[in-house]
Amino acid sequence: MRPSYFINFMMGIYIFIFFAYLFGPLIIMSITAFNSAEFPSITPWECFSFRWFNEGKIAYDGQHLAGLLSDWRLHDGIISSLIIGAGVVTLSVPIGMAAAIVLTQVRSQLRDIYYSISIMPVLFPGVIIGISTVVLWDRIAGLGGEGFIADIGRNGIFLTILAQTCFISTYCFLIFVARLQRFDQTQEEAALDLGASQTQVFFKILVPYLSPAIASAAVIAFLFSFENYNTTVFSILSDQTLTTVIASKVRLGISPALSALALTIIALTIIAAVTYEVLRRRAEKRYAESQEKFVKEKAADNRINKKYKAGFKIPKGITAILLIVVFATYGATQIVKNDLYGQSCIDAADKEKKSKFLEQLQTLESNELTDEELSGGSLGGNQDYGDIFGDPSLFQDFGGFD
Amino acid sequence: MNNFLFTQPFFKKNGKAVAIYFLVAIIFWFVFLVIIPQFYMLDLSFRTNVPPLARGGPEDYYTFEHYSHFIFGSKTATDAFNFVDLGVFGRTIFVSMLVTIANLLFCYPIAFYIAKIANPSTARLLIVSLIIPFWINELLRSFALRILFANEGVINNFLTGVGILDQGILFITYDIGLYTGLIYAYILLMMFPLYNAIESLDINQIEAAKDLGSSSFRTHWRIVIPHAKPGIVSGCTMVFMLTVGALATPVVLSSPNTLWFPQLIYQWFNMNDNWSRGSAYSIILLIVSVIFVLTMMRIFKVRIGEIIK
Repeated sequence: MRPSYFINFMMGIYIFIFFAYLFGPLIIMSITAFNSAEFPSITPWECFSFRWFNEGKIAYDGQHLAGLLSDWRLHDGIISSLIIGAGVVTLSVPIGMAAAIVLTQVRSQLRDIYYSISIMPVLFPGVIIGISTVVLWDRIAGLGGEGFIADIGRNGIFLTILAQTCFISTYCFLIFVARLQRFDQTQEEAALDLGASQTQVFFKILVPYLSPAIASAAVIAFLFSFENYNTTVFSILSDQTLTTVIASKVRLGISPALSALALTIIALTIIAAVTYEVLRRRAEKRYAESQEKFVKEKAADNRINKKYKAGFKIPKGITAILLIVVFATYGATQIVKNDLYGQSCIDAADKEKKSKFLEQLQTLESNELTDEELSGGSLGGNQDYGDIFGDPSLFQDFGGFD
Repeated sequence: MNNFLFTQPFFKKNGKAVAIYFLVAIIFWFVFLVIIPQFYMLDLSFRTNVPPLARGGPEDYYTFEHYSHFIFGSKTATDAFNFVDLGVFGRTIFVSMLVTIANLLFCYPIAFYIAKIANPSTARLLIVSLIIPFWINELLRSFALRILFANEGVINNFLTGVGILDQGILFITYDIGLYTGLIYAYILLMMFPLYNAIESLDINQIEAAKDLGSSSFRTHWRIVIPHAKPGIVSGCTMVFMLTVGALATPVVLSSPNTLWFPQLIYQWFNMNDNWSRGSAYSIILLIVSVIFVLTMMRIFKVRIGEIIK
């Protein structure tokens, strides 16, 4: 199908809008991380600063806004998130692998039921998995009296590992199923014919064949565990993970420190993605080279063995990096030149805000109420509020605390 | 058991040690993590809400009070029905459906473009750039939208600064931010099933339709969409389930006056300490989800295995 130029053009615009929708908010959030103002914004641009990555600031009215480095709740959350992630990986990867291998062995009549049970946890809403785990373990802890079982039954980290394993195992299961579909059964048969035991077949044939799937299942399991909120918020009980800390911070009010955190995570993600891509390409290249070498060694014909001199080419990636560096240096010099970076700028901005604050305080003081106004006067009667307190059914729809 | 459940004798096939590992892992998962917790939650949802010490005592009996509270409201209320909770529930379902449809409409052109029109290197680049935002925490993605949509956020500051508006629009109060955020949150789970389904369509079929004089719209309606049906069903199911059960996005983006159904569950559970009622509401959510999946499977005649791949 070859669409006309007009349709192609419209398609281009649509794709641009779509990707702007995907990336725009993230880019704007990243920019706000460098604004020194207390509210994450772009337009009243105060100063360019790294304060939200470091110690944060103490506002002119004494409120302390923690930055990334000085926020101990965030650090505790990250540590427990890492522990939970490790626990989930060690549980869900073996479970997923076992379930996927057994899927190839159950009778075909049972296969549909088995498969349905395996993928059910992904279809459950995350909140339900969290709630059911907590409810069950609270009961178990209650039965056991005091002691070890009661302790782990009320341990948020342990419960979260179990709850997340419930559905993350399914993702691992699906990865292993996909890999096993391409497995050549004759390898197993050959090993058995040569006298290997069943256990040896498993460790020498199946596990090495599945090892790429094990690696990707581990990575996926860890990432899903690390960024899960819906299940964790119930099962974590009184502890905190990174996501619950973020959620409670957002609820209290939005701070640029969160933008800084998000930018850090985005940067880590992109670095990981690029590293993965580079490693994969290198492995592919090495494989292609070894194949080529193999062919050349085998080939008697010298025509193939002729050496080609590779011309020097500038890789595309380097031009992009150079462009970014040029723009970044230009931007930085502009910022420094216009006195938008550094302590002097921040001091000036703070001073301005402080004076505004004082001004407001003074206007408030000058507006102080007179005695007559304080004693009631014409203000503050029921009629001022549209008589809503006179409504007898005001608190009836409230439902109570039952 | 061996010949009944498995194609080959299980212990002989795998060797004793490995077979025991398989059985322990699977039973631990199915029974201990998936089935027992759900049944226990179902049991709890029919019990009265009593403090732990009174469990098993005379006040701990089976009752329908939590389900009837969901429909008729508390016993002291004057209204015939519990309009608050039912309203939250209906709104959640309705908005989730709209979000699902919007996602399908937004994703279809892009998926078709990447799968069939773009050249391979562009397609690869587009796919990689689709995946990157997906790895960023749902909460932080919602937070990014919150910065845009806040009352003194980037959009409002821009609009008032340029002079288009005198006063900012209350995006959060009217839940515009929430709806945008819900569409944003799971759009990639619609994109990939769609892309995979369209990608497997033979381009010659499209060419043939074109040669036989079919219009572009008709080609999509009669050739591409029927072929992509499993992908569409899969994407719609995933997006609907995740949107109905979403908690992170509403926590960040919903207005203080309105609730999303999982937020209601959260309130009963954590703030009002009524675990039985929270369980009952969870069961209601679960039933709706299951009904939705079964209906989708029935209407579009796909098997459950095709929904999740």
